[in-house]
Amino acid sequence: MERFIADLVAKFETGTISRRDFCEGVALAAIVYAAGGADANAAPPSGLKMLGVNHISYSCPDYRKARDFYSSVLGMETLKDDGKTRVNLAFGPAPGKGGSFIVARNAAATAPAPVRAVVDHVCYTIPNWNDARVDAALKAKGQNPTGRSGSVNVYDPFNFQVQLASSEAENPFI
Amino acid sequence: MEGFVASKLNEFEQGKISRRTLIEMLTLAATGLYAADARAQAPAGVKAALVNHVSYTCPDFKQAGDWYSKVFNLDQVGLKATEVTLPFGKKGEQPYNVTAKDVPLTFIIFRTRDLNAPPANGAAPRPKSTAVVNHIGYTVADFERNRVRDQLKAMGVANVRDGGLYSLHMTDPFGYDVQISGLANNALTDG
Repeated sequence: MERFIADLVAKFETGTISRRDFCEGVALAAIVYAAGGADANAAPPSGLKMLGVNHISYSCPDYRKARDFYSSVLGMETLKDDGKTRVNLAFGPAPGKGGSFIVARNAAATAPAPVRAVVDHVCYTIPNWNDARVDAALKAKGQNPTGRSGSVNVYDPFNFQVQLASSEAENPFI
Repeated sequence: MEGFVASKLNEFEQGKISRRTLIEMLTLAATGLYAADARAQAPAGVKAALVNHVSYTCPDFKQAGDWYSKVFNLDQVGLKATEVTLPFGKKGEQPYNVTAKDVPLTFIIFRTRDLNAPPANGAAPRPKSTAVVNHIGYTVADFERNRVRDQLKAMGVANVRDGGLYSLHMTDPFGYDVQISGLANNALTDG
């Protein structure tokens, strides 16, 4: 980053770029830096490189109840609410920078395709975990959390299991 | 950001700060923007930071795990009699664009189990859900739809099809819908 800015300063001093180009160049560099380096975006020679969960497509009888639950209890940001059938509930890094979202929508009238697998629950990481704080915060939202130290379960308005956990309690390498 | 850059440039031109100071301040500001962005994600109360894991139950957890390992280049850890775990990266790596040290890599647990069986510990039985996660979208690096579509078909992946402008859908061995996209598909562009 420092070398890039030094180059921009040199170009500005020699008149190669305008004052506006200089300011925009630094601002753009900051945005690109925040979005992650080129290395992080590089795909492997074959196959795909997983960066994370993009979205969870969640179908239920009333998307508004899901919206209210996930925004209130888990602090997700409500985006693109069409007021009729669907909403995006964003969390994590900013949209476009690796953030995830739930697409909560009303169930379609048509029968879903037959599948032999089911996502039976989703667990979310809660940073700065503290058992008492999490328990109190959930109860303040009318939830009845059950579980163990570092990990609790609640059910959303449609009885879908929602697990909340610390990095120690739910970690693939511990 | 641009206003700050302009003001520092003014100070430099007026001789108030040196060339070196200008470069250092702008570098700090540009990289600090990233830190500020990360801080904005800090939880207040209970706030989901990231998907910790997805629990996926199917008739053959090993077959499912092997398929996801092959398609997404994921290692398998924690193999047990009825489940296997696939983290989205290697031990010690951070989730994409996450700096907080207490947010681990997301993972999928593939399981084979009877979801209707009463809990062994005497806990209340799982209530029947009237909601369903009908697919999960995954973000992959360097997503270019035509190239990825060809790759998936060459791997023998079933039912590969376009999903809007930014993504592809496919079907896993148990008929589950899997979507993949790049960073362009996000909460602001989807829907």
